[in-house]
Amino acid sequence: MPQPEVVEPRDPGAAILLNTEGEPLPLAMEAKNVSMWYGPKRAIDNLSMDMPAKAVTAIIGPSGCGKSTFIRALNRMHELVPHARIEGSVFLHGQNLYASGVDPATVRRRVGMVFQKSNPFPTMSIGENVIVGLRLNGVSDRKFLNERLEQSLRMSALWDEVKDDLHKSGTSLSGGQQQRLCIARALAVEPEVLLMDEPCSALDPIATAKIEELIQGLKTRYTIIIVTHNMQQAGRVSDFTAFFYMGRLIEIGATTKIFTNPNEKQTEDYITGRFG
Amino acid sequence: MVISKHILGTFDEALTSLRNDLLMMAGLAERSLDRALKGLLQRDDDLCTHAIADDEEIDQLEKQIDKDGFEILLRFQPVASDLRRVISAIKLSPNIERIGDQATNIAKRARKLNRHPPLPEVQMIVPIQAYAMTMFKDSINAYVRENVELARSVCDRDEQLDDMNREANRKLTQRMMEDRDQLRGYFNLILVSRALERVGDHATNISEDAVYAAAAEDIRHQSLTTSV
Amino acid sequence: MPIPRKDHHSWRKFKSAFISGLTFCSAVLVIAPLALVFLHVLKSGVGAINLEFFTHLPKPVGMAGGGMANAIVGTLELLALASVIGIPVGVLGGVFLAEYGTARVNAVLRFIADVLNGVPSIIWGVVVYGLIVLRFKSFSAYAGGLALALIMIPLILRTTEEVILLVPVGYREAALALGIARWKTIIQIVVKTASRGIITGILLALARVGGETAPLLFTAFGNRFWNHDLSEPIAALPLQIFTYAISPYDDWHRQAWAGALILVTGVFCVNVLVRIVTRVRTASA
Repeated sequence: MPQPEVVEPRDPGAAILLNTEGEPLPLAMEAKNVSMWYGPKRAIDNLSMDMPAKAVTAIIGPSGCGKSTFIRALNRMHELVPHARIEGSVFLHGQNLYASGVDPATVRRRVGMVFQKSNPFPTMSIGENVIVGLRLNGVSDRKFLNERLEQSLRMSALWDEVKDDLHKSGTSLSGGQQQRLCIARALAVEPEVLLMDEPCSALDPIATAKIEELIQGLKTRYTIIIVTHNMQQAGRVSDFTAFFYMGRLIEIGATTKIFTNPNEKQTEDYITGRFG
Repeated sequence: MVISKHILGTFDEALTSLRNDLLMMAGLAERSLDRALKGLLQRDDDLCTHAIADDEEIDQLEKQIDKDGFEILLRFQPVASDLRRVISAIKLSPNIERIGDQATNIAKRARKLNRHPPLPEVQMIVPIQAYAMTMFKDSINAYVRENVELARSVCDRDEQLDDMNREANRKLTQRMMEDRDQLRGYFNLILVSRALERVGDHATNISEDAVYAAAAEDIRHQSLTTSV
Repeated sequence: MPIPRKDHHSWRKFKSAFISGLTFCSAVLVIAPLALVFLHVLKSGVGAINLEFFTHLPKPVGMAGGGMANAIVGTLELLALASVIGIPVGVLGGVFLAEYGTARVNAVLRFIADVLNGVPSIIWGVVVYGLIVLRFKSFSAYAGGLALALIMIPLILRTTEEVILLVPVGYREAALALGIARWKTIIQIVVKTASRGIITGILLALARVGGETAPLLFTAFGNRFWNHDLSEPIAALPLQIFTYAISPYDDWHRQAWAGALILVTGVFCVNVLVRIVTRVRTASA
């Protein structure tokens, strides 16, 4: 596996991520000077960060550091919270998602999200759950929907397990299967980026391993940003790791570098379990 | 070695225990070397025997360190500096064990030499021993104190030790040709010198591991390109 | 800690049994009147239940026989009218309170709804009398339906709101994260998930207003014949029971008991229906 490197200016957000040949990596998303508030409380403080395309970037940090808040800036979910405010820009392949006139619903179709607690819709069957994003956005072509249904379930390694049970309720599956169903549902609308907010926190080790394996397969087609509080998972699954603390980006770099020899003492102290 | 405390107390305890084992092992190896050479210089067979006896404890400690290190990796999944320190400790200990073996070697040669009349050339060993011992002590110090400068200096000194050994070799070989009666005695001295040169090599290895633990830099095998 | 002695243990057992017995007695005290009432109504009314009761109009005063067909149908018609107005307003209001609005506005609206829930039902009758009956100079089914709707609206509004608030935030988030528009999320995901609870709320509201008499006194007014025009007075079961019960005729008394039995049974059936609706949906989930 190629060992990407980091060029070292003082501002961690301005770190340019390079590949093995020393060329800058293509970026899927960029956050520039993002600040986020819940009412008067500032949760993210002038944060800038690059997210390389078709790679897995993990965000780690102690509770309350703002990692879950931050990814909700990437798909414009933060603004749905009452009294929430956001400043700064987020770019998806060069387009500012917060420019005036941009429809948030369109953004959310291009940047999908999987949540910590799996939430298949209880009133729908497995099949209906997967294609609900397409159907409720106006797609009615049966053939197309069926194709997308199978494709999404295959991509989330669930097809073989449920292909004969598509009419059964979404909640009849095990926890790990439900989470893979939610991943299939998110993939069905063909996003460019997939955000995952601690997707395995509620799962047992085997279900977790299946999803981690799934992520490795997905990164050839999608950019994945995963928030996790499990550092071993970040080590197993991600190409790049960003360390957040108190609403700021402390350091971002290739995962092997961060976990072998991080630049910042705070990063080192956190990952070795000396604080946080 | 442990700068600030881990939240998990048992982790700190395990790391401290590992460090203490290493220090104990190094201390024993030092003492063995010291005794072996005193036994040689003072023609004291008791000291030699003691030196040889210590080796068993050194060997046990090597096994203990491997076991403890492995357990730390298993239980605590260390990362970054913790991981580097543990891996280095596991790589360090065989070097100390070999130093112990060299001390045993020297002690055995000393016993042989003590059966024959004393050779004034024995004094040639003294500076070589002092140099090698300093290298060893410094290398252990460099690991424990995470002193990269000190570690690098040990690596730099290895060449000097090699020169000292070569010089002693040359002189002793010449004496061997001049005084055929004492051939065996001179030969044993050559082997003692070589043993000390090996001690220096092991001290160099320890220093390389110390640099990796402290600074995440792998400085091994670089001398192939720098020296001619 | 010392091991408790044997007599400690017996005392505790006695205390436990005593309290259990007390709570059992309380439960009996609550259920007993309900059972007694039902049994009394059953005993008194079952005799007058026959086919004629369900199919015939009331006979003129003094003559034996006749039935309450028009009253039964009238009640159903009034409930239908009330539903047409009450259900949409109540449900949409509940959705608004749960999903839109600001905290302050919603708190005020909730308070108003709770107050309205406590207004005695006869007041609604008086209000509709003043607004509609006097204006159009006629009692009518419309007026009766409106009065019942006004009782239903705050009820349905509050139950709908509460059931929708119970829908976990996770479902809304998941739907929005798929790029589904907000209004679609609310209708197709949230309301659909809460549908069982909303239907339950509606059924219970219907059961409640089905038995209301006072508001109908000056709105629907009652009718001895079939109602052919909704702007005319209409018979209703509770009204008919009231009229017959205060009359001096034994035959009418018996028919009143029968009417009461029908009403009580109706309420009972609605509650059973609610249970079935709830259970059937969970079985298929």
